[in-house]
Amino acid sequence: MTVLRDVVTAVLFLTGACFCLLGAVGLLRFRDTVSRLHAASKAQTLGLLLILVGAAVHRPLGEAPVLLLVALFQLFNAPITSQIVGRTAYRTHAVDRRRLFVDELADRLARDGTPLHEQGGLTPDKEEGGNPDDTDR
Amino acid sequence: MSRGESFRRILHHLPLVVWLWLLWMLLWGSTSAVVLIGGLLLAGAGAMIFPLPTVLPGVVPRPLWIGALLFHLLADLVRSGVTVAWAAVRHGGRTRSAIMEVPLHVDNDVLITVVAEITTIAPGTVVIEIDRRRRRLYVHTLPVRDLRTIVRRKKETQDLERRVARSVGHRHGPPGRGPRPDPPSDPPPDPPPDPPFDPPSDPTGGTPPDHRGRRR
Repeated sequence: MTVLRDVVTAVLFLTGACFCLLGAVGLLRFRDTVSRLHAASKAQTLGLLLILVGAAVHRPLGEAPVLLLVALFQLFNAPITSQIVGRTAYRTHAVDRRRLFVDELADRLARDGTPLHEQGGLTPDKEEGGNPDDTDR
Repeated sequence: MSRGESFRRILHHLPLVVWLWLLWMLLWGSTSAVVLIGGLLLAGAGAMIFPLPTVLPGVVPRPLWIGALLFHLLADLVRSGVTVAWAAVRHGGRTRSAIMEVPLHVDNDVLITVVAEITTIAPGTVVIEIDRRRRRLYVHTLPVRDLRTIVRRKKETQDLERRVARSVGHRHGPPGRGPRPDPPSDPPPDPPPDPPFDPPSDPTGGTPPDHRGRRR
């Protein structure tokens, strides 16, 4: 029984750690802020949840509720953070437009008479995610 | 204040008090008398000092549909982790993405919040803008291969919205009201390089629905 539990925990821990690692890889490899949010908010969350489940399997049952609480707050808060960061990134030209297939938000803003490049955002930044030619659109 | 009215007010705050009490016990990790009584007092005081308005008038939670929603949520979580991990490893910086507009039917602050939250958890989508007045979500999608992917993701988001509305017994808006979803027409197999994906059938972007004086 103990062996089985150890094996389950080990598998869950390793899978969770793998997803966290892949999230970090995505964070490095994706080009712009919003794409990096995908890696940070999804792979990371899944990794954390797997590790929490693994811990819950291994620890006494009384400690499971606290782990559940951690999972719950992660699930509540990660989307909120990424929405705020994503919105800010879009408004400050941190989205790599060359990689965008369509951008219906830009169409909407143009139709509303408030196209993005007229709003006082930051100038296209110099960091890696910045895109110098996005003022053309 | 009559006795019945005050009783109803207590009943109205009961879920919040119970949740705060439960949270208190979980955080302390014990059920000793001090924690129980102190938590109850604190929860009651919190609910009284910061009274919250009724956010979902006249809804009936449906446990079965909520269960289905949670099940989908967990499945989505696994799928989205795998999707984005694969995209990161396989394509990396060359991954194409898109920002799509998803019209919603529900017209309620809480439901729109829940839909936006779960959309961010769902595979390949991150909400980057919420247009509360027009009831639209702007969703960053990744990875995108062609227009078909976008149409599919839009449909997934709207299915999700339907599940959320169903789980609280919320009626979907009548079809004649508010923005209509994009017609689910099949995209052309070979899309032109810069296709007008959202046909400007409504150049004003759809008249903003009567939002009954809510804040934007």
